[in-house]
Amino acid sequence: MTQFGTWQPKIRGRLYYNWPRGTCEEALRFTGSEQLGLEPYDLVIIGAGVVGCGLAYQLSQYELRVLLVDRLHDVGEGTSKANSAIIHTGYDAKPGTLESELLQEARAAWPDLAARLKIPVDPIGGIMLSVTDEQERQLTAAEKNAHANQATDVRILSAAEIREREPNASPDVRGGLLVPGESVGDPFMASIAYAEVALANGVDILLGTGIAGVELGQAPGAPVHHLVTDDGHRLPARRIINVAGLGSRRLADGYGGGAFDINPRRGQFVLFDKCARSLVRHMLLPMPSAHTKGVLVSPTIFGNLLAGPTAEDLPLDDPEATHTTVEGIRKVMEGGSRLVNGLTQQPVIATYAGARCACNQGSYMIRYNDGAPGVVTVTGVRSTGLTTSNSLARYLVDGMQKELGLELFSDTVALNARPESAWPGWWRRPFEDGVSDARSDHGCAVCFCEVISEGEIRDALDSPIRPRTMDALKRRTRALMGRCQGFDCKVPLAELVSGHTGIGIEQLTNNGPGSELVAPGQTVCPKEVSV
Amino acid sequence: MSEVHFKVAIIGGGPAGIGAAVGLAKRGVGPIVLIERRGEVGGTPMGYRKKPGGVPTFVEWTRGRVVFGEELAGRLTKRLAQTSTTIRLNTQVTKIYPAEKRLTLLGPDGFEDIVADAVVLAAGAREQTPAEKGWLAGSRTARVGFTRHVTGWLDRHGLLPARKPIVVGSDLIAYSAAAKLCALGSDEPVMIDRRRSPEASFFERLFFRRWTRPDWSGGVSTVEIKGHGSPTHLESSNGQEWQGDGVIICGQLVPNTELALMAGMAVDLPSRQLQLAQGQALSQPGWFAAGNVLGGFHGAQWCYFNGCSVARSVARFL
Repeated sequence: MTQFGTWQPKIRGRLYYNWPRGTCEEALRFTGSEQLGLEPYDLVIIGAGVVGCGLAYQLSQYELRVLLVDRLHDVGEGTSKANSAIIHTGYDAKPGTLESELLQEARAAWPDLAARLKIPVDPIGGIMLSVTDEQERQLTAAEKNAHANQATDVRILSAAEIREREPNASPDVRGGLLVPGESVGDPFMASIAYAEVALANGVDILLGTGIAGVELGQAPGAPVHHLVTDDGHRLPARRIINVAGLGSRRLADGYGGGAFDINPRRGQFVLFDKCARSLVRHMLLPMPSAHTKGVLVSPTIFGNLLAGPTAEDLPLDDPEATHTTVEGIRKVMEGGSRLVNGLTQQPVIATYAGARCACNQGSYMIRYNDGAPGVVTVTGVRSTGLTTSNSLARYLVDGMQKELGLELFSDTVALNARPESAWPGWWRRPFEDGVSDARSDHGCAVCFCEVISEGEIRDALDSPIRPRTMDALKRRTRALMGRCQGFDCKVPLAELVSGHTGIGIEQLTNNGPGSELVAPGQTVCPKEVSV
Repeated sequence: MSEVHFKVAIIGGGPAGIGAAVGLAKRGVGPIVLIERRGEVGGTPMGYRKKPGGVPTFVEWTRGRVVFGEELAGRLTKRLAQTSTTIRLNTQVTKIYPAEKRLTLLGPDGFEDIVADAVVLAAGAREQTPAEKGWLAGSRTARVGFTRHVTGWLDRHGLLPARKPIVVGSDLIAYSAAAKLCALGSDEPVMIDRRRSPEASFFERLFFRRWTRPDWSGGVSTVEIKGHGSPTHLESSNGQEWQGDGVIICGQLVPNTELALMAGMAVDLPSRQLQLAQGQALSQPGWFAAGNVLGGFHGAQWCYFNGCSVARSVARFL
């Protein structure tokens, strides 16, 4: 009953890194498009962020040959990795928009989705705080808006009620809006979980491969296009979905897509030590302005406290779109201090910045048959991308059925949940959980701040989306992410990765070729060198 | 879960922890358990391997000689071996219960609880991260590391962490890192700091002149790391630029007081400094601290003697 030539049930997808020889195992290394089979893909998703991974997961439920390709060296490595990790209720969305519709759908679906894909979510609830008289007046309108978005449990709190719930809220707080449904999730595991299931269902994943251009097929009807990679490989595709986020504009130029403008909107964050976690109980949000939702203070799923983001519009192709600035960090601290008392006294462990994919033509811009038949552009997904990743994927699959004439046949053997595995994520602690397969290396800590053992690192290295960069490993295991920021564990961790994978320690990278941990071009000297 | 009782538990097997164990053993206190999260005792000095022609970076004051960290740690370890201290390697304290003086340990055999009559916190210190400094921002690239990484890459693997290093900080640690880099063949490092003049004393700088004469820039205000994937240069807010392919962040130690902090003992924030009473006692009776966990920057020898002297307070308490 296969409708598409090469589709075969229960064959795992292939995962390749387009890296130079020696930087990863030969079995994981992409050497040419013949590794991916000769038949053109039914769909190629360009961009393995949370939107692309969510779409790959959704498409993997059907009998389709799908490829997920990204320029970066892990899934969810771009905008998807640097955000506030909020699962929004959509209480503040503009009613009637696609974003609002998708958020409402997502709100109902998330608990089940998170359980199936094992994505940690903590429903801590949020309180939007007003600190001026003018903001207090806006609360009623905000409540009305929330109710229009079907968030009927949202209600106004008095200053006293807030004080009771949040003893450390700033003394300037006049009142607030309680949003019980706001949750924090794990931004990294969402992309990874989607990609793992997609891979198990037969989606191929090609990382570290930039798409330089698109050769459009000229045949009438359903032409076969070719994606040309940075290093000259040609990947055949019947349909192309551009979910490349900040890279979507440049990619759209390659296939003659319609006009739109992307502005990276930089958001800088400050991450506080775990000892600061007890400062707040809910996610504390400021009243939004016309430009930005403002600096919020929120616990993270990992038990830290987070403040941010700023909102700085940068020109497209600004190489510094994800750099932090001293000025930006100062603004985050200022903004956070407006909501929470004593925030400046808390120890900071890290700062980071991400760039939202802000589209001047509006958020959630979707174009079918954009520039050529079978090409879809999806862009302008900003803060709500994590929340709507699954509802957007469903919406897109419906849309492609209608607009692209995509024929869908449910894959009866496809998984829709992550199977049990030795390493579902950072929260599995073999000795704490008392699992029977706890080994002695599960007790030898390598990351002391987060107490991550050598065994957990090895398990993570063997997980389906094989992490082969230090950053990828960090997002999965939390090693390097603690208060010492790798002071103690960077070198031992590199030794561990090198020992387990056989990659030379001098070849290991932070986030792909060009980010070697030591000065590049060195050959390994004998262990004892004379200096 | 088994529960073992000890007279004294020492958290940290560096010079200070060893000093405490040796001091207590001299006073006939026992049984003692020394908990070390790494695979070997000796602490930070162990990272400074002995090599012919290498940069000796630890000073043994008693004999006025400059020796390698590893040699110094070796001598201390020998003294430890002469005591009957129980040593738990690859074992980390994951939680402490101050009132009961109970520690939860995670080691190769899993979790274990131990109870002691007194506890010495000798967890040492780490170097301040860029975010903690507050004046260093920019890109999160590879090869932005600490002195600990310099010794790790150089001494354990013979690999240069950077060919053209930029050293941030100007204390003794910064100069020793610069010297080690130069000795293995890196370019003369650039050294930058907020201070107008280097933090290391004239004699300390003179000692390292044999290996390095860093290109010094003092009095910088705020600095951003530039580059993608790898660092290319540093840029200050007043437009100064320093080229380099790696950033070494040195000195400005932050004490590892997290265990005390998370257990609700008196710790100053955001400096993480322990609040100490007479005899280096912590805010809970029966808890003491020794070595670099007290804050500031002290040599291995000082930490060892500090451990020995804390042993006196501990013995008096018991």
